[in-house]
Amino acid sequence: MSIIKKLALVVVSLSLVAVSSVSSAKPFSPKKPVELIIPAGQGGGADEIARLVQGVIEKNDYASKPVIPINKSGGSGGEAMTYVKKKAGDEHTLIITLNNVLTTPVNQPELGIDFFNDFTPLARLITDTFLVWIATEGKNTAGVETFDDFIDLAKGNGLVMGGTGSMSEDELLLGMMRGQFGFDAKYVPYSGGGAVAKGLVGGESDFTLNNPSEQMGFYQSGDSKALVMMTPERNPAFPEVPSSYELGYPDLEYYMMRAFMAPAGIDAEVEKYYTGLLHTVYHDDEFQTFNIDDGKLMSWLEGFGLKDFLAIEYEKHGEIIKNFN
Amino acid sequence: METVGFLLDGIFTSLQWFNLALLIFGCLIGLFVGAMPGLGSVNGVAILIPITFIIPPTAAIIFLAAVYYGAMYGGAISSVMLGIPGASTAVATVFDGRPLAVKGEAMTALTAAAVGSFVGGTVSVILFTLFAPPLAEVALRFNAPETFALMVMAFATFVGLGGDDVPKTIFSILIGLALSTIGLDLITGKPRLIFFNIPGFLHGINFLVLAIGIYGIGEMLWTLEETKGKVQMSKLSVNMKEVGRAFGALKKTIMAMNIGSFLGFFVGILPAAGATPASLMSYGITKQLSKNSKEFGEGVPAGVVAPECANNSASTGSMLPMLTLGIPGSPTTAILLGGMILWGLTPGPLLFTQEPEFVWGLIGSLYIANFFTLVLNIALIPAFLMVLRIPFAILAPVIFVLCVTGGYAPTQSLHDVWLMLLFGFAGYILRKLDYPVAPAVLSIVLGPLAEKALRQSLILSDGSMGIFFDVSEKPIAAVIMYIAIVLLIMPAFGPLYRRLFKKKQTA
Amino acid sequence: MSITNKITVKRAEIAVAVILALCSIALMIKSSENRITWNAEENMGAGFLPFYLSLGMLICTILTIIKFVLKRSPQSKDDTPFIDAVAFKFIAVTIISLVVLVLAIGYLGIYFSLIFFLAFYLRYFSEKSIAFITIFAITTPILTFLFFEWMLKIPLPQGVSEPLFYPVYDFMYGGFSFAVKMIFIILTVLLPTALVFLTTRFIK
Repeated sequence: MSIIKKLALVVVSLSLVAVSSVSSAKPFSPKKPVELIIPAGQGGGADEIARLVQGVIEKNDYASKPVIPINKSGGSGGEAMTYVKKKAGDEHTLIITLNNVLTTPVNQPELGIDFFNDFTPLARLITDTFLVWIATEGKNTAGVETFDDFIDLAKGNGLVMGGTGSMSEDELLLGMMRGQFGFDAKYVPYSGGGAVAKGLVGGESDFTLNNPSEQMGFYQSGDSKALVMMTPERNPAFPEVPSSYELGYPDLEYYMMRAFMAPAGIDAEVEKYYTGLLHTVYHDDEFQTFNIDDGKLMSWLEGFGLKDFLAIEYEKHGEIIKNFN
Repeated sequence: METVGFLLDGIFTSLQWFNLALLIFGCLIGLFVGAMPGLGSVNGVAILIPITFIIPPTAAIIFLAAVYYGAMYGGAISSVMLGIPGASTAVATVFDGRPLAVKGEAMTALTAAAVGSFVGGTVSVILFTLFAPPLAEVALRFNAPETFALMVMAFATFVGLGGDDVPKTIFSILIGLALSTIGLDLITGKPRLIFFNIPGFLHGINFLVLAIGIYGIGEMLWTLEETKGKVQMSKLSVNMKEVGRAFGALKKTIMAMNIGSFLGFFVGILPAAGATPASLMSYGITKQLSKNSKEFGEGVPAGVVAPECANNSASTGSMLPMLTLGIPGSPTTAILLGGMILWGLTPGPLLFTQEPEFVWGLIGSLYIANFFTLVLNIALIPAFLMVLRIPFAILAPVIFVLCVTGGYAPTQSLHDVWLMLLFGFAGYILRKLDYPVAPAVLSIVLGPLAEKALRQSLILSDGSMGIFFDVSEKPIAAVIMYIAIVLLIMPAFGPLYRRLFKKKQTA
Repeated sequence: MSITNKITVKRAEIAVAVILALCSIALMIKSSENRITWNAEENMGAGFLPFYLSLGMLICTILTIIKFVLKRSPQSKDDTPFIDAVAFKFIAVTIISLVVLVLAIGYLGIYFSLIFFLAFYLRYFSEKSIAFITIFAITTPILTFLFFEWMLKIPLPQGVSEPLFYPVYDFMYGGFSFAVKMIFIILTVLLPTALVFLTTRFIK
């Protein structure tokens, strides 16, 4: 086809807009760039995955239109969730989740978000876990070698814990541990996992409950060490860190899910398309390698399995929040 | 020295023709994005991250460094030519850059900005190469109490910035601080000041919304009133005499260059501070130490050099906490950090020893980018000046379009565009009644940083303010705090002292 | 006597001070929705800082009012009009057209709203010909689109006009070669832009 013919085609299609909007039997594919809403700021764990997904899609041409990450970090994800709620029926909006999608509707009822009816869950790609970190040369945690040492120490002394913001996952976890082990700590909120890690190594806090990737640099340099990983099994990225099951604390299990959701009220076709797209991304070699090296768990889940999982997690978080208050 | 070798390698790598082409292209993109109000290096870097999956990592870093530096320069262009800060780092550039342009000395302002930026960039690269490891240690020890002390010092340097009317100046500072508390409270996790439950307030008030409102919309309304829409914004001529004069004016700004470069670098390496406080502080301190501090704000080249020098110096400096501690000082470095992780690099203390090619390649390309942006900038000055030839009646709507898109783009919310219009109108009315507006813009920038650091410190100290003054426990914080207090008191005692001193002379 | 003469600097000063005082009080009330205490048992509440900051604002406005009453500030003695009639008209037109623009963006999307805004504003303030204004008002949104949506990938609001852009996106991200896209851009954008620049020289 010559250039002129191509151009003519474009001009014709431009003028036939109204006609083209009539639905056809063709399977769905995005008509414009897809907005990928990130309910957190730049540089965090969710942001990282969102941009990785964007890059993988773009590099391999998995989708006909690009995916554009947009950060809406206001109100612990409240702003992002209200935005997606308002976009009901929109076929070009996705949201990547942190666990704040489970807690924010409960903590901020005035937003009027109904977790089960305002979103269409598509797929869970990854779960991230948490570890208990201390500084190798921490002045208050000197001599702590195991998680049990740590609990003994923490019971007697008011330790300082660095965290990523009030009512965020790690403060809820602290609440969970308080109930389980009977120790309390002074919670200092920072902005972002990086600042939390630095506060620990810089001697401002005594321990943190951070994601693997957020503490990776200081872990590799030997400045901080992990005492326990809150999963049933050890993680290949941290071979010497025991799992909570091994230590005999199976209740100490917690995940951060990286799932994708669409607004409510989209067609089954659209849902199928995006789930398929995410599935392609999930099985991309680069995507797999990156996440496994980063200590994340690849855990694909879709359909009814995902809905059940979300329902259980939502209930669990509601419980944690209730106990916390 | 080994590091110098790596640095030279980095520089030579970026001089290969493919990389060089990318570099110049990146600088141009950066300049353009930086000059657009509301858009900054963060937007440039964000779109390029996916591209870097396609080109090799070294080329990607060079490209990103070029965009980053280009945007640092670009911010100054719109500050001077349009009076709207192109980026947060260029807010302080408006204070003197704009008056210079209005006086018809836009050439001087642009030259000062370009040369200042270059000097700042150069000094910071040298400092970085020589002192990176010990400085990383300093950055690590710089915690919440130290940060708060530094913020108090930043405010202290600005005591003299307000107008003559004390209650109005204080009002301006306080309203800026109060606006900065809107949104989610980090410490308690509770939403604050969500007026009428509008979700747009949840993300707080982006300071760019206030700055674009006041300096974009407000300034346009002001000009409209002054000129009745008939006059061109300023007269100018570009000839060799003008060029000579512009460079001549720089001789008097050596002090500003020193303050900007060193202070900028130091503030830049501190985690969570970054280039914006650095440029504001260096403007404030240069003004206080200058012999003709009264003329600041009316258009002196030193007032352009100081912040521009500092923001470039700080942007190299802020690579340090990003690389060694994994803490991004700005959204741009946050995205860069994300990029690094995606390339398989782990930021942390080991990065310097494990990936020296990457680290010094980045620093080397920052430096080369710095040089080429200077060249491009000086070469493009005549093109920038063409903006001033556009008749006001055409320029005004274009600026309004820039303001609207610039207010929308950072948060992608129309809510912020409304706020921007409101601030623009209110700022215009208040300015007519001698309420100084610059203090409000400063405090909305520094407010969130200061509040966070203050309240983190108070949690650590169980509510005691003593944490900031205890020389044995927190020596850095205490020293900075005492300097800040002296700086705060000095202007108040200045007139008193002078009066006493004069009496002595006459007696 | 027209309205602009009645609004003197003096009157504006006191009116603004009173409005700011009321705003400060409103802010204090709003702040106290969160805990505003700070004492030995409990750390600083979320409302503490905003509350006392707005209290400080209130004090400042009261001082301004006192200075006004005592005639200590230059504005309190100034009986000249706050704004003259001609400037008032210009500013009112500008503000109203901006408000209409933002309202329109929410419904019509930014690109079409800009066409109307630019056409109106240029017609009202400049003495340019209709030909110039037409070209200018159409080219600016196109450039805005290319810059934001294509180069920076920042979606701007499109409102009801969104379906009109689907074919454009199909073209942008379709399988056309880079050369075809560039030729298309030159034909649709750069040529008209060049025309605008030429017309600034030749068409009044």
